[in-house]
Amino acid sequence: MNWLESPILVTGATGFIGGRICERLVMAGAKHPRAMVHSPHRAARIARLSIELRPGDLLDRDSLHLAVGDAATVIHCGLGSARGIVRGTRNLLSVCEEARVRRFVHISTAAVHGLRPPAGSETEDYPVRLTGDGYCDNKARAEQAVLQYGRRGLPLVILRPSIVYGPYSSWSTRLIEDLRQKRVALIDGGKGACNTTYVDNLVDAVFASIENDSAIGKTFFITDGEFITWGDFILRHAAMFEREMELPNVEKQRVLEIYKKRPGLFTGSFKALPRILRSRELRQLLLQVPLAERLLTSLWSRMQSLSESQQREIRARVGVQARPSDSSPEGVIPDEVTFSTQTGTVFFSIERARRVLGYSPRISFAQGTDLVEKWLRFANYI
Amino acid sequence: MTSKLRLGILGCGAITRVAHLPAALSHPEVELVALVDRDREGAQSLAKSRSIGCHISSTTEFAAWELDAVINALPNSLHAATTLQALEHGVHVLCEKPLAISSSDAEACAAMADTCDRILAVGMSRRFVGSHRVMHLLLQESVLGSSLGYSCSYGGEFDWKSASGFYFSKSLAGGGVLIDFGVHLLDSLVDWFGPVTRLEYQDDNWGSGIEANAILEVEHSGRYGVVEGKLQLSRTFPLRNRLFITGTEADAEISLADLDCVTVRRMIAGERVKQTMRLEDYPHTSSFYKQLDNFVQSIRGNEKPVVDGWQAAEILHVIESAYANAHRIPEPWAEVGSEILIAATEVPA
Repeated sequence: MNWLESPILVTGATGFIGGRICERLVMAGAKHPRAMVHSPHRAARIARLSIELRPGDLLDRDSLHLAVGDAATVIHCGLGSARGIVRGTRNLLSVCEEARVRRFVHISTAAVHGLRPPAGSETEDYPVRLTGDGYCDNKARAEQAVLQYGRRGLPLVILRPSIVYGPYSSWSTRLIEDLRQKRVALIDGGKGACNTTYVDNLVDAVFASIENDSAIGKTFFITDGEFITWGDFILRHAAMFEREMELPNVEKQRVLEIYKKRPGLFTGSFKALPRILRSRELRQLLLQVPLAERLLTSLWSRMQSLSESQQREIRARVGVQARPSDSSPEGVIPDEVTFSTQTGTVFFSIERARRVLGYSPRISFAQGTDLVEKWLRFANYI
Repeated sequence: MTSKLRLGILGCGAITRVAHLPAALSHPEVELVALVDRDREGAQSLAKSRSIGCHISSTTEFAAWELDAVINALPNSLHAATTLQALEHGVHVLCEKPLAISSSDAEACAAMADTCDRILAVGMSRRFVGSHRVMHLLLQESVLGSSLGYSCSYGGEFDWKSASGFYFSKSLAGGGVLIDFGVHLLDSLVDWFGPVTRLEYQDDNWGSGIEANAILEVEHSGRYGVVEGKLQLSRTFPLRNRLFITGTEADAEISLADLDCVTVRRMIAGERVKQTMRLEDYPHTSSFYKQLDNFVQSIRGNEKPVVDGWQAAEILHVIESAYANAHRIPEPWAEVGSEILIAATEVPA
């Protein structure tokens, strides 16, 4: 039976990749597409579709049983919290095993090799080692869990895309905002390997993984198959602005020297504290603590009972409306994650995906960025 | 001194927690008698967190609790039935927007309020922000001149923590961003410029879902003649979040960042001048408090509801007409995928 005829569940469906997979399933005529939704308020994009929204939490096995149900195919894009990536993936794998799911597609990441992958990691055979980065290491551990279930017989495929971009992607929306705020510099002329993966190319690979039995148990890098550098990616976005932009260049060595001079542990921590206390991420974490949730809800209620002008004044005083400035006497200096990401030299090979999946990237970098530009204009980012 | 109104709140979701409850608890002429929610434990916990001693229930006992009035903050699809039930019991109703998910149900509510001689007010809280009144004054005094037009864009990534998640169910919400937030804007615009006489509507509903983005081109005909405008609404993209009204003499802007003021730009002696206007003595209370106060004073016979059932039904007529004649917003970035898929599925296994 055609896999599109059977129930298909997408986890992480409210995210950028999961959302596009849902759209493509609907366009392909999937008969029973289901989107697992952890945070209902984030479902605006997929609520436009003819798709069943099923509540589910990767850390709650009971909810996963209900979400998976009789699904024949599960496409796992969900992340959950940083620490929940591994446990959540294990929970889902175990439920899928019990439910005798016929195909489990795990959306992993090329970042299992770290933010700056080592030489030799171009092909899938290179061993995965933990690098110390929380996200990368947890995705690597999740991949190990997936492989373990694969060895036990769960028919699964692992896809490792790299820089997945497209409409709705924060790679583009953040970059546009940073370009507007003059917070972007090219590192060593932007020669670092970018490994772009246009989101529809990735979805092609997902669908090919479901159709193709010879993919079972295998891991595949998925990129656009072009040698795109960070300079290419950044300059293409800069060209979307009407006015011409001149981007500063910063030498890699100079950045490393500046990092060395940065404040020590205590001074740096003290300076960072106000920003962390105001951050949305911290608020979301605190909301998981019942006492803090009650306190924050009460504060929020009281805030709402004030007039608009009073609310505005309070927001201004606590600095919620002000974005932290990245200006520094040294010019534009990338943060450490950006630096690591943009100074890699490895271009991942998609030869195995071509050979086994029949994967052939349909959207070139030029076409993909044109589509992104159309969307960014529609969505008022530029 | 008149006795306090015995008030019940139906529905203890996000809007009750952040807006209706604080307003009710701080109003001197209101006694909160009951909180009703299908999730009784949630209601109990809400009452406990605010130290409220009142009936907590999953069903409404209009007579037993001797309710004078209710705030109906249930999911949209329950608004009309519950409002009718309350009115039939002789209870005044302040119903959250939209009053119903169809104009016929809204009209039935309005008619029932007339028949029962009860107050039915509809929660268009935007009518109670300072800028709404200031804009009325600017228009009345012809500060903007003639040939009025407007453009309006409101949107951002949806972040409303709805307890029931009904927002993304077509049957429960009645629609997407248009009926949810567009209803506020259309209500204000019709109040300023008169009835809608022409409407072109596009959205991004893919067929049987609910729209996240909507674009309306609207023509009004009223006391300021024919006024044309454009609205863009989004639940997925950050928009400029402002209403911009143009005229021959001046332009006026209302920004979501400060809904109590209007910024007017005009030429004076060849110089472009910007003025920020706000009502000097406007009380420093929330728009929801002012809305509740209007409801209370309407019950007392001192005022009329700022938005009644008939006005709400008129806006729902406009929304229904928009949905019935909807065109799809072109999404070239989304259409690409289907072509790719055809090629990909041809790959032999």
